[in-house]
Amino acid sequence: MTALSDFEGYFQVIRDIQRAVHRRTSVKDVLEVVVTKATAILSAKGALIRILNRETHQFEVRAACGIGERYLHKGPVSTEKLLADPLNYHSVILINDIWNAPRVEYPQQAWDEGVRMMLDVPLAIDQQLVGLIRIYLTKERKFSPNELDFIETLAEQCAGIIERVRFLENQQARFTHMAAHVDKLSSLGRMAAGVAHEINNPLTGILLFSSNMAKKVPAGSQIQKGLNTIMQETQRCKTIIQGLLDFARDVKPQKKKADINTIMRSAIAVVQNEFRLKQTHIDLRLSASMVPILLDKNQIQQVFINILLNALQAVGRNGRITIQTAVVPRQQQISVVIADNGCGIAGHVLENIFEPFFSTKAAGTGLGLAVSYGILKNHQADIRACSEPGRGTRFILQFPITTERPIHREADEIHCCAGY
Amino acid sequence: MKSIAVLVIDDESVICDACELVLREKGHSVDRCLTGSDGLKAIQSGNYDVILLDMKLPDIDGMEILQIIENNHPHPCVLVMTGYSIMSNAVQAMKLGAVDYLAKPFTDDELIEAVEKAYLKTDQ
Repeated sequence: MTALSDFEGYFQVIRDIQRAVHRRTSVKDVLEVVVTKATAILSAKGALIRILNRETHQFEVRAACGIGERYLHKGPVSTEKLLADPLNYHSVILINDIWNAPRVEYPQQAWDEGVRMMLDVPLAIDQQLVGLIRIYLTKERKFSPNELDFIETLAEQCAGIIERVRFLENQQARFTHMAAHVDKLSSLGRMAAGVAHEINNPLTGILLFSSNMAKKVPAGSQIQKGLNTIMQETQRCKTIIQGLLDFARDVKPQKKKADINTIMRSAIAVVQNEFRLKQTHIDLRLSASMVPILLDKNQIQQVFINILLNALQAVGRNGRITIQTAVVPRQQQISVVIADNGCGIAGHVLENIFEPFFSTKAAGTGLGLAVSYGILKNHQADIRACSEPGRGTRFILQFPITTERPIHREADEIHCCAGY
Repeated sequence: MKSIAVLVIDDESVICDACELVLREKGHSVDRCLTGSDGLKAIQSGNYDVILLDMKLPDIDGMEILQIIENNHPHPCVLVMTGYSIMSNAVQAMKLGAVDYLAKPFTDDELIEAVEKAYLKTDQ
């Protein structure tokens, strides 16, 4: 029978851990509190917490108490031995015979430290082992059900802390990545606007003189051909710069209530002829429950056309392009997926496709997707791409639903990154 | 077409040279200024039909010059030239009184057409 004072002790340990968590100390500090308090209350020699490093698949020591440096420096413990017993992820494993337990990697060193018994307490989140508390005792003894229950509670607390910290770390990493990306693109845009203006001035001189001279030379002469080329190329520069300015300029879209399905149909109508020439099949799966949202329909049509033309260039003859629109009420957004079964985009290229002047096409300006990105950001919409070389590319666009009332209807089935 | 008196205000002498060449060949007379303040002085003393005004000058902002011209000299009509190719910029200039705009770069034909149309519009 467990004495009342024992329960008081357990309560204090749990309270101390909670306090450490609420003080927002680092995860390492919280885990140090856990090992120290657990060692004391169980009258153990020491304890340590190993956390699974998801990159190396090894359990690394994150907190230790009462264990000699020599033992700790034995390095990480391999995953296999600890994962050998998946049925026991939520219960304490008592190791009475440290010499013959497969879970004990260094029995000699443990024995030399004076360890005669160990307790392994798995730390699990959703049936996944994320770490382990090991408690070291100098003599074998029995543990009461209440004691074991306390140790398990301790493990649940630790697992919860680890999960929370991992969630925050993931969020932070994602946010930092996005912020860096947005910042990079906006500074490129500002620079581009300045450059564009400076280039338009010399281009004016070139175009005025060349167009004027072309009229003064014999018709059909080499000189006239050359001057015509200069004029054409200057006009091409003008188009590129116009695209760049479109990307850089922070024009508020002229938003009106519009239906994404209608805009998509009109975009397809613009490019239909080119699709027919290349015998590309369009598989159109427009949501039957589409809701109108506030959009600049010209700008969004431009985005769709850009992506459709990219898809057309990626597919060979008889290619297939799948267009899917869907309403996702839970996230209050509309998604548009444009997928092709074309050549795909290599990973290192995929990272740069939204940057101005980034193009892998011989005749590309590298502005199509950069402009599209700018337009979508002005709509608070999101665009991302996933691709697999040889299988195809999938662009996923997500528009926030900007109506006063939330919509409650069945979500359309849409799969973001599976299959091309 | 009657000879039109044109004043080009642009800090790029190459653009002034080119406009002068193209318009003179069509029988129009052309003067040029490289700064806004020189341009305003020229307008005060001269008698111009059409002002070709760059929106980005080193000393005075194009919009400001446009306003001064419209407030003080109601006769010459102003054609603005813009390197930003931004519609809103051109629209703002036209609200202030400019008759039309030329987006840089432009061809000789576009220049002649714009200048002659601008002149005819104000002449009527």
